[in-house]
Amino acid sequence: MGLILEVEGLHVELPLPAGQLQAVRNVRFEVSQGETLSLVGESGCGKSLTALALMDLLPPRAIRRAGKLVFEGRDLSGAAEETMAHLRGNRMAMIFQEPMTSLNPCYTIGNQLVEAYLQHRRASKREARERAVFLLEKVGITAAGSRLKQFPHQLSGGLRQRIMIAMGLMCGPSLIIADEPTTALDVTIQAQILALLADLQREFQMGLILITHDLGVVARVAHRLCVMYCGQVVETGTTKEVFARPLHPYTQGLLRCIPVPGRLEPGSELGSIPGLVPTPIGVLKGCTFRNRCPKSRPECVVENPHLREIGPNRALRCLDTLASVA
Amino acid sequence: MPDLVLELINLTKTYQVSAGAFRGQRDLRAVNGISLTLEKGEVLGLVGESGCGKTTVAKLVLALENPTSGHIRLQGRPLAECDSKEIARQVQPVFQDPYASLNPRKSVGSIISLPLRALKVGNRASWNTKVSEIMEVVGLAPHLRHNYPNQLSGGQRQRVAVARALIMRPQLVLCDEPTSALDVSVQAQILNLLMRLRRELGLTYLFISHNLAVVEHLATRVAVMYLGRLVEEAPTRELFRNPRHPYTQALLGSVLTPEPGRGLPDTHLGIAYPNPIDPPSGCTFHPRCPKAAEPCKEQVPVPRREGGRLVECHFPEEL
Repeated sequence: MGLILEVEGLHVELPLPAGQLQAVRNVRFEVSQGETLSLVGESGCGKSLTALALMDLLPPRAIRRAGKLVFEGRDLSGAAEETMAHLRGNRMAMIFQEPMTSLNPCYTIGNQLVEAYLQHRRASKREARERAVFLLEKVGITAAGSRLKQFPHQLSGGLRQRIMIAMGLMCGPSLIIADEPTTALDVTIQAQILALLADLQREFQMGLILITHDLGVVARVAHRLCVMYCGQVVETGTTKEVFARPLHPYTQGLLRCIPVPGRLEPGSELGSIPGLVPTPIGVLKGCTFRNRCPKSRPECVVENPHLREIGPNRALRCLDTLASVA
Repeated sequence: MPDLVLELINLTKTYQVSAGAFRGQRDLRAVNGISLTLEKGEVLGLVGESGCGKTTVAKLVLALENPTSGHIRLQGRPLAECDSKEIARQVQPVFQDPYASLNPRKSVGSIISLPLRALKVGNRASWNTKVSEIMEVVGLAPHLRHNYPNQLSGGQRQRVAVARALIMRPQLVLCDEPTSALDVSVQAQILNLLMRLRRELGLTYLFISHNLAVVEHLATRVAVMYLGRLVEEAPTRELFRNPRHPYTQALLGSVLTPEPGRGLPDTHLGIAYPNPIDPPSGCTFHPRCPKAAEPCKEQVPVPRREGGRLVECHFPEEL
């Protein structure tokens, strides 16, 4: 399987009145064909900004630096807006969280579906329409032809999210970035939308970056995951390994926080992570998790741990655990 | 005779909605004949998909809406006879979004003491001590009292909302999706807090949520709603062990537990949640039901009570 995306040393900084907010720090990951990589973390950990940085859709004042940002063999770290505009919606597509706000209420579904296709392909309107109908059927929408004339407000949340997915697939991208694609949906619809995404991904051999805070979703869908905390990747590995043997104290804490039917006595105390997420402003020294960490050591204050490989596909950013593993 | 905090008797709420330009008004039955009781110290979890009427039930209990028919009794007294201050003394809500439910221009102390001031309980000195007490109970540092909501984190804001609800020592706390807007680690803190307060203060919760894992963890009894009807109700353990209604089975099946390798469940529910203006005939669940047969299309199922459980289905799973 070929690599689609390689990211190394990705930084995103946002200028705030209080100083430079280091929202994404030294993030590294890669995605292969047909693979689902999940970026997991709580709000403010930088997972959504990472996605926007890949697409070069950051807010105007944000600063992006990347050691390496190779997509389909091309380095995009200094790419011009023209190049990015050609790739966006064409070779890489994004599915946003809220299907209510990310569709334009003033245009029909059909209009919005064919827009990117007409932009990137030398195709007639009829061909674009045929492609749209084909994809709407693929995402499980009945009476696809007549849906094209409908407006977003006439459709339910689940249908709108299916349309967002179809829209992402119009130009046959090799990479899909899905930012919380099911968070706004009901549980019964959530499973269907995720199954649909996984099926389409297998069929078209796309790479999928799934951004979510829901560990249940990650466990069922992702092949590999990166746990993010305070702008950094703190643990990566295959989903099976990380869930069976979480090594970073933050990952362990997160997994203890969720009630799991059958595994936990109802009414018993849930695990929680004490304290608050620090705001990464200015010069940062030491491990950002140390104040909430049950295993913090004196070294954690001065030394910023590196993301160290500890096995095939497995890396960790923690002084304590690395010391005990070694 | 158990100590009943809340009784809903055959409760119905119908809204008039426009069916489109020039087509006049049509009835939307948001809540369609629901009967429920809540004993002191219980936690009743109310679950269902969006649009099933959970929040309408909450509004009716808070007397923010008047029922179209049926009765609500609070501590044995009809809600219709109580004035709004009386109700506010007995029932207090905790809402979903702590970013929207706190007034950004008031300090934390002022937000928490508002119920006392509005209901004219005690004097300025006693308000102060009560606010300090309740802030300690919910785990808010005393110095936060003069802060404003925008200076607080999501978890702290939700603690403020809980403190505001509890300062009147209400009989019933109505939690409408209290942790849905929070991060996982914060959600755990708030759930732990709610459980501890229930033990220490003997509170009764009506807990509305779509997160079944949370409901299983917290509730003592669960009621499942579908299109304004109560389709199943049972003690939590029994409901999760042996769901009788096909809809409950599908709901439980669609919970994504963090178990890698299990893959995604297929709930066979189809995509379409029916339009509540135009509910299906017979059993309203029949178009999505894997067990639907002829009678389901025409006859409305009768609620059956057996062994402390309620189910409304023509072909329920055996007990």
